[in-house]
Amino acid sequence: MGYGRYLVFRILNALLVLLIVTFIISALFVKVAEKSNRSRMEEELMQWERTTGAQIKKSQGLEAFEQAKKAQKELLERKYELNLPLWQKVFRKTVRTLKLDFGKTSMPIFGTNNVSDIIKVAVPRSVLLFTTATIITIILGIFLGVRAARHAGSAFDRGLSVFALLTYSLPMWWTGMMFLLIFSYKLGWFPISSLFDPQLTGWAHVKDVLWKLTLPVLTYVFVAFGGWAWTTRNIMIGTLQEDFIMAAKAKGLPERKIIYGHALRAASPPIVTMIIFSLLGSLGGAIISELVFNYPGMGRLYWVALQQNETNLLIGLTYFFTVLYLAGVVLADMVYGFLDPRVKVGASANM
Amino acid sequence: MRWVDVKEGFKEFLQEFKREKTGILGVILLVILVLVALSAPYLTIQDLPTKWRSSQYWEDNPKSVPPTWYNMFTSQKLVTQEIYHLNDLSISHPSDTVTVIEADYNFPEGYVGGPQGINIRGFNVTVNSPYNTPTIDVYLLRPDGKEIPLLIGSQLSSGEVISIGRDSKISTNFYIWLVNVTEGRKITMFDVPLQTILIEDMVAPMFARVEPGMNASKIIKNPEPLHGTYKLILRINNPAPKDNQISYDNLKVTFLGRSYGTMGTDYLGRDLWAGLIWGSRVSLTVGILVSLISTIIGLVYGVTSAYLGGLTDEAMMRVNEIFATIPSLPILILIGATAGHITLTFIVLLLVIFGWMGIARISRSMALQIKEQTYIEAARALGAGNGRIILKHILPQLLPYAFAVIALSVPGAVIAEASLSFLGIGDPTAVTWGQILNAAQTQSATNKGYWWWVLPPGFGIAIVGLTFVLIGTALDKILNPKLRKA
Repeated sequence: MGYGRYLVFRILNALLVLLIVTFIISALFVKVAEKSNRSRMEEELMQWERTTGAQIKKSQGLEAFEQAKKAQKELLERKYELNLPLWQKVFRKTVRTLKLDFGKTSMPIFGTNNVSDIIKVAVPRSVLLFTTATIITIILGIFLGVRAARHAGSAFDRGLSVFALLTYSLPMWWTGMMFLLIFSYKLGWFPISSLFDPQLTGWAHVKDVLWKLTLPVLTYVFVAFGGWAWTTRNIMIGTLQEDFIMAAKAKGLPERKIIYGHALRAASPPIVTMIIFSLLGSLGGAIISELVFNYPGMGRLYWVALQQNETNLLIGLTYFFTVLYLAGVVLADMVYGFLDPRVKVGASANM
Repeated sequence: MRWVDVKEGFKEFLQEFKREKTGILGVILLVILVLVALSAPYLTIQDLPTKWRSSQYWEDNPKSVPPTWYNMFTSQKLVTQEIYHLNDLSISHPSDTVTVIEADYNFPEGYVGGPQGINIRGFNVTVNSPYNTPTIDVYLLRPDGKEIPLLIGSQLSSGEVISIGRDSKISTNFYIWLVNVTEGRKITMFDVPLQTILIEDMVAPMFARVEPGMNASKIIKNPEPLHGTYKLILRINNPAPKDNQISYDNLKVTFLGRSYGTMGTDYLGRDLWAGLIWGSRVSLTVGILVSLISTIIGLVYGVTSAYLGGLTDEAMMRVNEIFATIPSLPILILIGATAGHITLTFIVLLLVIFGWMGIARISRSMALQIKEQTYIEAARALGAGNGRIILKHILPQLLPYAFAVIALSVPGAVIAEASLSFLGIGDPTAVTWGQILNAAQTQSATNKGYWWWVLPPGFGIAIVGLTFVLIGTALDKILNPKLRKA
């Protein structure tokens, strides 16, 4: 199977998953949304009774009023989709979500009611935080991991392993709470809340954002780099035992060149996949970490939506998370297939 | 493969495991954790989960105070909880109608601030003559000889709780007394600033230096501790001792500490030590159950898929991929929030549904190799059914690997459960570490520096995680010889 076909197959697979997830979300929320829609409809009907309805009653009598009320109720029911059977409601919601038509929130967030606009404000912030953190983590992790692999069994190697095992068992959000206690409360080095100051613009705004990003980024790097270094170390130890490394050594190449030029390149496919997936994985953890730091990104938005029962926003955000995640999966597969041709032959050879 | 071989292999494996120091450490930690979880009712409070959410149960505990042992590390020591029962109190009867109960309270040097409050409860009053109901006066006699009238002529009935520190009437009386001593003015209760009474700590100034000429509001804002022996005096007047009887058998006077127990208290006065110990039960159970069930499902799924091969394999792997590419945390939160009431069983179920895919994929690739071996073919030629071959010939070979996977996936499950509880989507009838941290977050404990409320649950999660990581990596090392060289 060629690379193009492999790619098409992966993308189709991702689209299928997207369809299924969107359907699940819609199904979950149609029931919740129905309740709030009904109350909103009743409110609107009452409003109508007080204004237009009262006029009709006055000028045309009770009978005409009842008739008009019935018509108005039907109109509203159609507007809020209360007259449709359940499966049709789910279907419609799914289609609308797939078309990125998420609707509006009942309360304005970030100064707007439009779900798409709200998400547009929040996404870059999350990306800023977690991309920065992930890049630092990766550089630090690979560098330390390679060092540990070169001196396998040394005190540095063992220390790194212990550190990696310890941080592997820590929830990132709890580490964030701990860092807040130490660095914000006790030492006062960083702000307690990472909400941006809305009054600042220009250079002052950039400075404010950087200042408030520091502690969340530090937390992320602290929790994640140990695991990275450890995995890199394990992959590198395997690679360093291969024949071509021996050959390079026998040729008398400098060690730096062997490590970074030969071994790391050979070990790159799994590492690249890890990079993509850690970029994605961080988005899931971000929901709680952003809440802890009070950072105004997607995660905190998710929490606010959950608290205020903004179903449209929840659907929009979940859909967005899913799209992002699936895009990453496809990207990872693409890169992996590109770097290691065996993959596309092995995994789906019998397709 | 026969079960005898499995047994033999297992023995060999145990011997190798004994050589892994980290693995042994992990097992020791696990044994300790299990013991702690099992003995939770005996170590702490029985039936904690039913009591955890009733604020009444925790009324006699101080709110948001650090653990007692913290005193060892600070120069500014915080008094501990003191409870007086009937035997610890001195009771006298100056006349037929009067009973005087006294409690001596020592406020030693080196401590800052007296108790957080004083609770008096446990009177049992039988009233037959409603016109002569008993009354109570409460005084605090200070080491400087001054006596604060905290409560005068208050009617006494069964179940009455006198709560110094929370009762605004007592705080008002104290404020009147304070102004009288410092400024020499007599004020009425209508001159007392209400927000001061309701917001400020009115107990600390009772145990502080008060001299004529000092500023009352300064004493309230910045009390200078007055050390020595205090005497809490309860004077109970029973004008008709024949008709109305008062029993003091259950009398309990609590001087709430400014530090409490092994792990301090939270904003409702709940004993965090008890919560911590009980939380280990949920954490361990959920962690082990989720990883066990999802490993078993993943194993069976992967092996079946590999064994059946062809179109079935392809279809099963597609299903696997679909589950694997669903971003689990957002979906978990959504399902949890939509379902509303969530039980622990439901959480376990959810985590299993989103946790079996990786194991299935790996065990499939392992089973693909085993499947090609000759004895499988021989078994098939002898007429063994698919189920028999999978269960008796392929699965046992994957068992040791399964143990490593189970151990290594526990931390993830523990963190996942804690994360859901942290978001407030947890079983409301259970006490979990995530929920303790959730309360800490909503009460912004980090911004107030309540470290004893934030650190221990996280350490708990970390220790459970570390335990299983240690065991898992030791198993992995034995089973993956490639890593052993390092």
